[in-house]
Amino acid sequence: MDRLRERGAISLFLLPIAAVLVLLFLIPLAQSVYYSFTDYDGYSATAHYVGLRNYATAFTDSSMFGSLTFTMIYAVSTTLVITVLAIPLAVVLNRRFAGRNFVRSVFFFPAVPSAAILGLVWTFILNPLGSGVVNSVLHAIAGIGPVPWLSDDRLAQMSVIGVAVWAGTGWHAVLYLAYLQSIPAEYYEVATIDGASSAQMFRSITLPLLTPAMTVSTLLLLTGGLKVYDLPFTLTKGGPGFATHTITQSIIENGIAQGRVGQASALAVLFLIVVGLVVLAQLFIARRVEGRYS
Amino acid sequence: MKPRRGIATSLVMVPLGCLIAVPFYYIVVNTFKTQAQTTQSPLGLPQRPYFGNYSAVFHNTPLVTSFLNTLYVTALSIAVMLIVGSMAAFGIILSKGWLTKGLGVVLIVAFLVPGQSTLIPVYQMLVKVHLVDSLTGLVFVYSAGAIFCYFLIVGYMRTVPSEIIEAARIDGAGPFRIFWSLMLPLIRPILVTVGVFQTMWVWNDFITPNVFISSPGKQTLVLQVYTAIGQFTTDWPAFITLSVIVLTPTVIFFILMQRHIVSGLVKGSIK
Repeated sequence: MDRLRERGAISLFLLPIAAVLVLLFLIPLAQSVYYSFTDYDGYSATAHYVGLRNYATAFTDSSMFGSLTFTMIYAVSTTLVITVLAIPLAVVLNRRFAGRNFVRSVFFFPAVPSAAILGLVWTFILNPLGSGVVNSVLHAIAGIGPVPWLSDDRLAQMSVIGVAVWAGTGWHAVLYLAYLQSIPAEYYEVATIDGASSAQMFRSITLPLLTPAMTVSTLLLLTGGLKVYDLPFTLTKGGPGFATHTITQSIIENGIAQGRVGQASALAVLFLIVVGLVVLAQLFIARRVEGRYS
Repeated sequence: MKPRRGIATSLVMVPLGCLIAVPFYYIVVNTFKTQAQTTQSPLGLPQRPYFGNYSAVFHNTPLVTSFLNTLYVTALSIAVMLIVGSMAAFGIILSKGWLTKGLGVVLIVAFLVPGQSTLIPVYQMLVKVHLVDSLTGLVFVYSAGAIFCYFLIVGYMRTVPSEIIEAARIDGAGPFRIFWSLMLPLIRPILVTVGVFQTMWVWNDFITPNVFISSPGKQTLVLQVYTAIGQFTTDWPAFITLSVIVLTPTVIFFILMQRHIVSGLVKGSIK
């Protein structure tokens, strides 16, 4: 009797999460996969099977292919740049110096407000007209005419990535900092006694002990980069042309605004596969790297 | 030797920190200028602070409504996430059956599924049950965050000695008593950490309200700022004033919760 009551109680505890799982994951995922093989428009009663046509279109349509390309560029370059900057920053922020707490907070803070609002604010900062402080400073100092930060393809991509680096580096530095603080100080003391230089200590103590942190940080950066929407959308609306279009933006435009549910679902499924592959590849590489150091 | 090195670091890092903060200085200082003054000296301090932008923004935008909408959605979503997540964690801890083990695996997979790949079907589901363009609908969408909460909470719950639960059981307490009066108080630290972390997500989120909300009266703060950009295209000091007003609660939250934000970031990343 008691056993039975406890079993009933356990099911009651698990019921809400099971509901969330079914309603917000399992059913929608199954629908995404199903729609991706049809021409469903979101309104009609019927949907026709179209085979892999939607998947083929994802690679040939210029807006969707543009969004796939830019999302990849964004994910890879933000991951690389932020990692390269965040690790030395964390090492410096781990030292004792006057104003350390201020510097830590200032670097960390840009990750706290909404990325959408930061994107909108930066559109004004990078504007070629009167409000664009970057251009007016460049003009005053170097006499360079207005730079089209957001209206040239390459520059717009670089601007989006630049703002993302500005917003994300401090956050990831704090992540590395947490791992650095767990490295015992004795390691460095022993190394100093043995006459190791600080470059040697960084290479042989700090970096190997930071590999778990690197796994986590780069995984967050890569998956976050693939999922990105707010920042490019508010900064450039995906333009000029499709230069800074993201996969998420394509899914929303196709599936909700234009009623091409089948097409959007194919993109969503492709997206899911890419994210899944990236996570698996990352875990595989991380295991090998960590295995080499331990 | 040591203190001198500290000074050198300060001399490099403090100016660098200030450089990172320039965009924030820029937007705050320009809210106190007229448009002509900002064009003239974008980075200078105003001779006499001008408050016209603030009164214009409070006059022209339904800030209080959007603030209350955001507060309502955030508070309710976080409550739902934490309750669902901790109930699930407790259920998983109590049971030893293979079915619940399977559920645990499914939850890991679901955790890795990006919201984008379920967005369109969820949207259509909400259209069918008339929850599109409703704040309750937003709360429903955010309840998916319960899975992330579950992971952090279950990790913490495993550190609670099982003898405590056993002792309560022997004293005759049922599972619900144990959950409410014993477990929840014990796991308070993780609830605060996860709550703070998820608050930042819901409060700042743009994609969900942008997709699901269309009535001006149901906008959240972030969406309000986004729609205002059309309204203020020419009057951009008014626009940044709105941004600064909307960012203020975030700054206060950051100052009060910095410790929890950092610990949430570290714990969340280890999962």
